[in-house]
Amino acid sequence: MKLNTASEVISFTKKLEEDSAEFYKELSQRYVKDEDIFLSFVKENKKNIIQVERAYYGVISDALEGCFSFNIDPAKYSLKTELGEKASYSEALERAMDIEEIIIKFYSDAAEQSKSYMADVPRAFKMVAKKRGNRQLTLKSLLGKEG
Amino acid sequence: MAILEEPIKEVEKLKNYINGEWVESKSDEILDIVNPATQKVISKVPMSTPDEVNEAITAAKEAYPEWRTTTPLARVRCLFRLKELLEENFEQLSRVQTQEHGKTIDESRGETRRGIEMVEVATGIPSLMMGYNLEDIATGIDEYVIYQPLGVFGHIAPFNFPFMVPLWFSPFAMATGNTFIVKPSPRDPISQIKLAELVDEAGIPPGVYNVVHGAADAATILMEHQDIKGITFVGSTKVGKDIYKKCGEVGKRVIAQTSAKNFMVVMPDADIAGTIPALMTSFFGNSGQRCLSGANLVIVGKDDSFYNKVLDAFVDTAAKIRVGYGLDESIQMGPMQSIDGKERALGYIEKGIAEGGKLLLDGRKARIIGDYPDACFVGPTVFSDVTPEMTIAKEEIFGPVASVMRAKDLDEAITIANRSNFGNANAIFTSSGKAAREFQYRVETGNIGINIGIVAPMAFFPFSGMKDSFFGVLHGQGKDVIRFFTESKVVVQRWL
Repeated sequence: MKLNTASEVISFTKKLEEDSAEFYKELSQRYVKDEDIFLSFVKENKKNIIQVERAYYGVISDALEGCFSFNIDPAKYSLKTELGEKASYSEALERAMDIEEIIIKFYSDAAEQSKSYMADVPRAFKMVAKKRGNRQLTLKSLLGKEG
Repeated sequence: MAILEEPIKEVEKLKNYINGEWVESKSDEILDIVNPATQKVISKVPMSTPDEVNEAITAAKEAYPEWRTTTPLARVRCLFRLKELLEENFEQLSRVQTQEHGKTIDESRGETRRGIEMVEVATGIPSLMMGYNLEDIATGIDEYVIYQPLGVFGHIAPFNFPFMVPLWFSPFAMATGNTFIVKPSPRDPISQIKLAELVDEAGIPPGVYNVVHGAADAATILMEHQDIKGITFVGSTKVGKDIYKKCGEVGKRVIAQTSAKNFMVVMPDADIAGTIPALMTSFFGNSGQRCLSGANLVIVGKDDSFYNKVLDAFVDTAAKIRVGYGLDESIQMGPMQSIDGKERALGYIEKGIAEGGKLLLDGRKARIIGDYPDACFVGPTVFSDVTPEMTIAKEEIFGPVASVMRAKDLDEAITIANRSNFGNANAIFTSSGKAAREFQYRVETGNIGINIGIVAPMAFFPFSGMKDSFFGVLHGQGKDVIRFFTESKVVVQRWL
């Protein structure tokens, strides 16, 4: 079922952030040498939720198209966060890259669909997408070190 | 998606809030407050006795002298605290609205936000209430204006925005130094009780803000009482006109914002993809129960293909609207607030069919998402081939019923719109600045949208209205309402 209302999309955003935070928490425990980096991602995820919710609650208006803003198919953004017990560090990082790719795509799509309705909300989505892009670079460099 | 948790879990009898105290009514007349989606009784509201309404007026009158002499800065500090408390309770306040009114959670949150914005703007009173002066109007003589509060004001609230509408007035009344009595709609008074709890917590002194439950009898007492300086009202034209007349006879100030029949004009150069969501919100948001709702969709041009394109997109999108309980986040349209409201809308649907309208989408057959009784639900309804003379094109339905008509050009569209008795909010959808300007210049309506479906003025602008949609001189919100709640004194001064 597609997500049409702003409320649904904000809840879905929260879920993506929480699910990916759980994933990075697990990486921090499994791959202790880069624990700080992964925990910083977890922290950043929490901030992302606050940023998006603040934008939504700050500009939501009965006069704007809150119930008709979006047409998001959640199936397109499902995250594979389970790691096999024997997954190597490289495999874990590749999985993280995939997750980031999906989340960036979600934020970009959500920003595009809401841009004519609530200025602050697409801006928040774009800013988080950008932060996620930076995270991808970090993951890429970790992957590079792994060879 | 899950259903969000309901904040009201137990049925309680509501109390009046008078002189900073929660007072149980002695009235035997008690109404049920029913969640329109679930049909469960969620609260009970007393119809206060005349003595209880008078007690509220006395409390407000007695609180006035001290509140009036409280500095504007101190008064707005109370409002700053109220604003913080409103933010802290944002989600609960929103869910209460959905539970007692039926609107979707996005709509309720939007209502909460706009209500808070009123409080925010009212905190600017130390600047907004300033007078003005001119030195040397004659040699050594200066002249200046000061704005002063007047006393006790009453508000008679509607059911369609149970949280926000009283806030169009109360923060401004209090910030300017007046005292205030709210009579909430007996259909959904819980939001105002939640607000009063926060007013109390914010430290607004006893008697400055009062809530008294009741229906027409309580409203009449407020209108007729000599200690009430003015009345603010939002509701039907019939009642608004009556209030305006009665208050005028005894010299009370009035803001009466009343019924509407709004026209949404779609020009051939409109961006259809961008227009349709705005039209959905306009016609079907809040289940059509708002004075800013679109009611008549006028598609302009002689080109049949454009007409059909807009009409098809409008009907197709409306048919897909998810109707159900507003606490389900996926729901785009809730029930009507009452069985009476639904009956009224159904009556107009029958009338539309009888008068020759072509029923393209029948809301009587709407699918309701979830297992809820259909007592108050009406789905999006669309009539085409409507003419301006038909009842459904002229009278306010206050439900999710759209009447589609055609106009050969902008001139004809404006003529049709101006023939309406109402003048609340009309909008044009176009990419032409020239067409938009002409529409703005000629259309007889207080609020005008240009590519905007719900023309809701922000807190710092007046909520305008004309013709049978407004009775009074100054409007709610913005500078208008500050003038409404103050008297201007002119001083001409010479020191010898």
